Amino acid sequence: MLSEKEIISTIEMLRNEHLDVRTVTLGINLFDCVSHDLGLLTDKIHKKITDTAGNLVQVCNRIGEKYGIPVVNKRIAVSPVAVFGAPFSASQLVKVAKTLDNAAKEVEVDFIGGFTALVEKGIANGDRALIEAIPEALAETERVCSSVNVASTRAGINMDAVLIMGKTIKKAAGLTSATDGLACAKLCVFANIPEDIPFMAGAYLGIGEADAVINVGVSGPGVVKKAIDRAIASDPDIDLGHIAELIKHTSYKVTRIGELIGREVAASLGIRFGVVDLSLAPTPNVGDSVGEIFQSLGLLSIGVPGSTAALALLNNAVKAGGAFASSHVGGLSGAFIPVSEDLNISESARAGYLTLEKLEALTSVCSVGLDMIAIPGDTSEDTIAAIIADEMAIGVINKKTTAVRLIPVPGKKAGDNAHFGGLLGQATIIPVNNGSGSNRFIRFGGLIPAPIQSLTN
Amino acid sequence: MNKAVISVLGQDRPGIIAAVTSILFKLDCNIENINQTILQSEFSGIFIASFPSDISNDELCARLSKDLSHLKLHVHVKPLEHEEKDHSGSICEPFVITTIGPDRKGLVAGITAVIAKHGVNVTNLKAVFKGGDNPSDNIMIYEVDIPCDTDQNLLRSELRKKASEMGLDISIQHRNIFMSINRI
Repeated sequence: MLSEKEIISTIEMLRNEHLDVRTVTLGINLFDCVSHDLGLLTDKIHKKITDTAGNLVQVCNRIGEKYGIPVVNKRIAVSPVAVFGAPFSASQLVKVAKTLDNAAKEVEVDFIGGFTALVEKGIANGDRALIEAIPEALAETERVCSSVNVASTRAGINMDAVLIMGKTIKKAAGLTSATDGLACAKLCVFANIPEDIPFMAGAYLGIGEADAVINVGVSGPGVVKKAIDRAIASDPDIDLGHIAELIKHTSYKVTRIGELIGREVAASLGIRFGVVDLSLAPTPNVGDSVGEIFQSLGLLSIGVPGSTAALALLNNAVKAGGAFASSHVGGLSGAFIPVSEDLNISESARAGYLTLEKLEALTSVCSVGLDMIAIPGDTSEDTIAAIIADEMAIGVINKKTTAVRLIPVPGKKAGDNAHFGGLLGQATIIPVNNGSGSNRFIRFGGLIPAPIQSLTN
Repeated sequence: MNKAVISVLGQDRPGIIAAVTSILFKLDCNIENINQTILQSEFSGIFIASFPSDISNDELCARLSKDLSHLKLHVHVKPLEHEEKDHSGSICEPFVITTIGPDRKGLVAGITAVIAKHGVNVTNLKAVFKGGDNPSDNIMIYEVDIPCDTDQNLLRSELRKKASEMGLDISIQHRNIFMSINRI
């Protein structure tokens, strides 16, 4: 028999605290579609995606209804296009992107990721063509997401790729100037990219993965915030050790939901269950914000001194609770701080509490990185590449994932507003130090060698 | 040996279960199940017990009533019928239906009418109506078994329609969600 408290607290999390499953992402291996003939390749891709994912949305909705937990996004992640599309030119790979987009629309998923290249140690022909294709591919499709891994702890930082990505981001923004550079919101540059991220824009299906796999991304910043608020209200003298314990318990509950839903979706589709990504992913809604948690923890705003320590506490407690709840944890697994996607964080940036430099510091103790940050449109490709290089260094040296998703908003300057719409939200453009200048360091190129901590064998 | 269901009802106070079970012990009865609950200030207990064949149900009831009279308890004894097959005759899945909303007459009748129409069995029900604005003060929690061959979409839509007519928020969720979240 269930207790009244168990039922009421669960209902409360759903009704008032924005608890949901943020995404169920179906990974689909496309290597068996490979062909030297572009038409044949795109036909096979379309067939495999629509065959495998045809029931995904319907099954997610049915199971969400069964448990009373909405599955907010249904997504697809495919094998890295740069690998199976290696024989093709950039313009041909744009056609592959359009095929992915059409298949995504046909099966009614929100996003499809995997327009991806892995170039941390060197750039092959297919990688070069894919990166060249990214601006047009993202500008001319709606749901395709792209990621490029330019660094890893094992390989170091590929500075040639870093500079190319600085240029690519500028070009992608330019092609979507009418929508404030929207293409850049679908493009992530990574260090140590995991092979099983269910969240966008970094989702792709790793080369070591099965033919099809279900990965789940849970959310729940609102649940964590409310739990902290309740605990402080009932005991104003509570210490941080107890608050960490409370976050751990809450993370456990949220993760269990993700695993329950993910396993049932996977079983219904006859597909292997992969991982739960234990992330606190906000949406641009009041009460569904990671930024608000900082205020519950007694900080004026995310960004003020103390924020990095608070985020470290939060991130670690989320992982500790989640790891106990599920044996299959993967993806990014940590707190997200995407500026435009979180009303509170966006407001902190607007008010000046949160700067690019403080965001970079925060990323050393959480997952993701410099995420969904709108910067002035005249920021130079050198400066964008240099910001990427800094962020990659944090990931490489600390053996963790970091990523950069910057949007240089065409024609707009610091203080202006950028609107991306939907889950991508809106943000005030924040200033960048030496924004429009050149950067000789970046242009030396080559490879920053792997750190000594890569020698683990 | 005979077997009976004994129900005991009366104002709650310490010692009711001790008194009932001591009488049953003296009569050489063997208790198989007990369930008790308290609603506001009223005690209600159900006992399933086997007892020697030379005692009739009426005698058992009379003896309990007499010996419990100082506690002002009502006793009823009913012979236990042979266990029937599962009343629904089909495999069921456990769900929890929760409603939250202001008190008015007919809420339980309204919801259970829909549930019964679909052959759904209520296995546990808790309803609290204290008035006021606190959602947990006006709540009904039905644990139910829904036969797998039930048209769940129809059941859900009829329950939602009925709840909306009565000004209630309703949730219909598989029991596993509560188990997953709350139990290790």
